[in-house]
Amino acid sequence: MSRLALRKKVRTDLRQRVQSLLPGLVIPTLLLSLWFFFNSRSILPAPGAVLDVLLDPSADLLSCGSLFWNTGVSLIRVLLGLSIAIMLGTPIGFLMGASNRFRHFTSLITELARPLSPIALLPLSIIIFKDTSFTEVLGLNHLKYSRNILNELQIGMIFILAWGGIFPVILETMHGVRGVRKVYIEAARVLGAGRMFIFKHVLFPASLPDIFAGYRMAVGRCWMVIIAAEMLPGTNSGIGYMLRYSYQLSRLDVMLACIFIIAVIGLVFSRGLELLGEKWLLLRARER
Amino acid sequence: MSLAFIKLEKSYSAPSGKSFKVLGPIDLTVKNGEFVCLLGPTGCGKTTLLRIISGLEQADSGKINRGAGRLGYVFQQGALFPWMNIESNVMFPLKATGMAGSLCRLKAEEILDLVGLYEFRKSFPHELSGGMQQRTALARGLVTGPDLLLLDEPFASLDTRTGINLQEMLRNLCRKLSTTVIFVTHNIEEAVYLSDRIVVMGHRPGRIVRDESLSLEWPRNRLSSTFTEVLLSFRQTFEELVDLSISS
Ligand SMILES: Nc1ncnc2c1ncn2[C@@H]1O[C@H](COP(=O)(O)OP(=O)(O)OP(=O)(O)O)[C@@H](O)[C@H]1O
Ligand SMILES: [Mg+2]
Repeated sequence: MSRLALRKKVRTDLRQRVQSLLPGLVIPTLLLSLWFFFNSRSILPAPGAVLDVLLDPSADLLSCGSLFWNTGVSLIRVLLGLSIAIMLGTPIGFLMGASNRFRHFTSLITELARPLSPIALLPLSIIIFKDTSFTEVLGLNHLKYSRNILNELQIGMIFILAWGGIFPVILETMHGVRGVRKVYIEAARVLGAGRMFIFKHVLFPASLPDIFAGYRMAVGRCWMVIIAAEMLPGTNSGIGYMLRYSYQLSRLDVMLACIFIIAVIGLVFSRGLELLGEKWLLLRARER
Repeated sequence: MSLAFIKLEKSYSAPSGKSFKVLGPIDLTVKNGEFVCLLGPTGCGKTTLLRIISGLEQADSGKINRGAGRLGYVFQQGALFPWMNIESNVMFPLKATGMAGSLCRLKAEEILDLVGLYEFRKSFPHELSGGMQQRTALARGLVTGPDLLLLDEPFASLDTRTGINLQEMLRNLCRKLSTTVIFVTHNIEEAVYLSDRIVVMGHRPGRIVRDESLSLEWPRNRLSSTFTEVLLSFRQTFEELVDLSISS
């Protein structure tokens, strides 16, 4: 393809993308203008006030840190909990899918534990883990009274995040592995592949799209869980904490800014992972 | 690899719960290096027999004696791995036995060249036609140089010309490596052209109705009178079988 043609193609691609986004903007615009023009009883602050908060994300707010800091704290908590969920959940789900015996052994406990909301476990986990944070776990006690991200990573909080994330990972992985078509396994077997080789080169790649779907669900759940958890006792940082604190101080401009950030990050998570997963989800198309 | 069945029987349970007999009793001995074609009407249990030989299925009674050695199996529906490209599919049986990567690639390229798919080695199965997928499956079955090769209608969706070329290739390769081959087909001409021996199977339950070693010499001429004679005789056996199964 010539350079000109290529450039033209890129441009039309871009235009198509933008055009496909436009219809989705109609309703948000309507809502925003409603807010802007009919906010006379001033239940809500003016949009401009919220915008001011958002435009200065590194300013200390309500003396509990900046938007940046608190968003970062929440994100790192989620990332940690999620990593644990993925690192434990993937092999467990994989074994549950691959071995009937292991599934029978574990299914009752996972079925019981799954519907238990992570939030319901928060008080218990605070009792068990107290307010132990990564500072103590890593033996860095001299950092305990300085402002430090490690102080904000409470074990109890990470625990319930891992709890929230692990079940989607386990279940989707299990379904993925169980759903691998039998012919692939049989073909591998008669062609001389051993158990471990089949695990690695047949079961795993064949169930990757499902495994990835599990990760996506886990990210979404963790993001919901962390916001709720931060609104409860046990921490005084994070975007959820900020949300609740601004409510207590009736600072609705800060509150709306927090809500906006939470929504946008949720969107970025799900859309970003969707794009990343498209490469793997292509596998699905290949089977057709 | 030599192969022997003694009074082999196999039943499946029907959805109603009643069990129905698919195979047997079957007695058959295949010599080392023999090229056997298995002919039979649809549903007579040819695939089931191959699955029993390969160990994917267990017979209910009877014995199967299989020598030691490598197995190659080309499935009826190809069963290529959709997440691997053609080359990786073909390398799979080599890698499974722990062969070094570079040697695997070399062998795979060699065999892909033989089946005429060298240029497509980086494509994925869904990007190939049905016939090309079958050729890939054939290459995957052949790549290890197996001692026993089981082929379940490998040339079913190929045009005549390509089919003939591949028959030629398969025949020569198996000769060279003295591979024992069980080749399942519906195509009588293909069977007469390829095999040392033709085994015709009948219906309900699957059993052997005719078993004959061919005395046609090599290379075979499809137009010669002896060839057509043999062809006709097998066609007749086949027609009678099909008539029977329709009228019953
Ligand atoms: N897993 C199974 N459960 C129940 N019945 C089965 C099963 N597999 C095969 N059968 C039955 O066994 C019989 C033989 O099947 P098989 O696939 O071996 O036939 P085939 O000779 O290979 O036919 P075709 O030429 O159409 O491929 C059929 O009647 C089929 O319905
Ligand atoms: Mg069959």
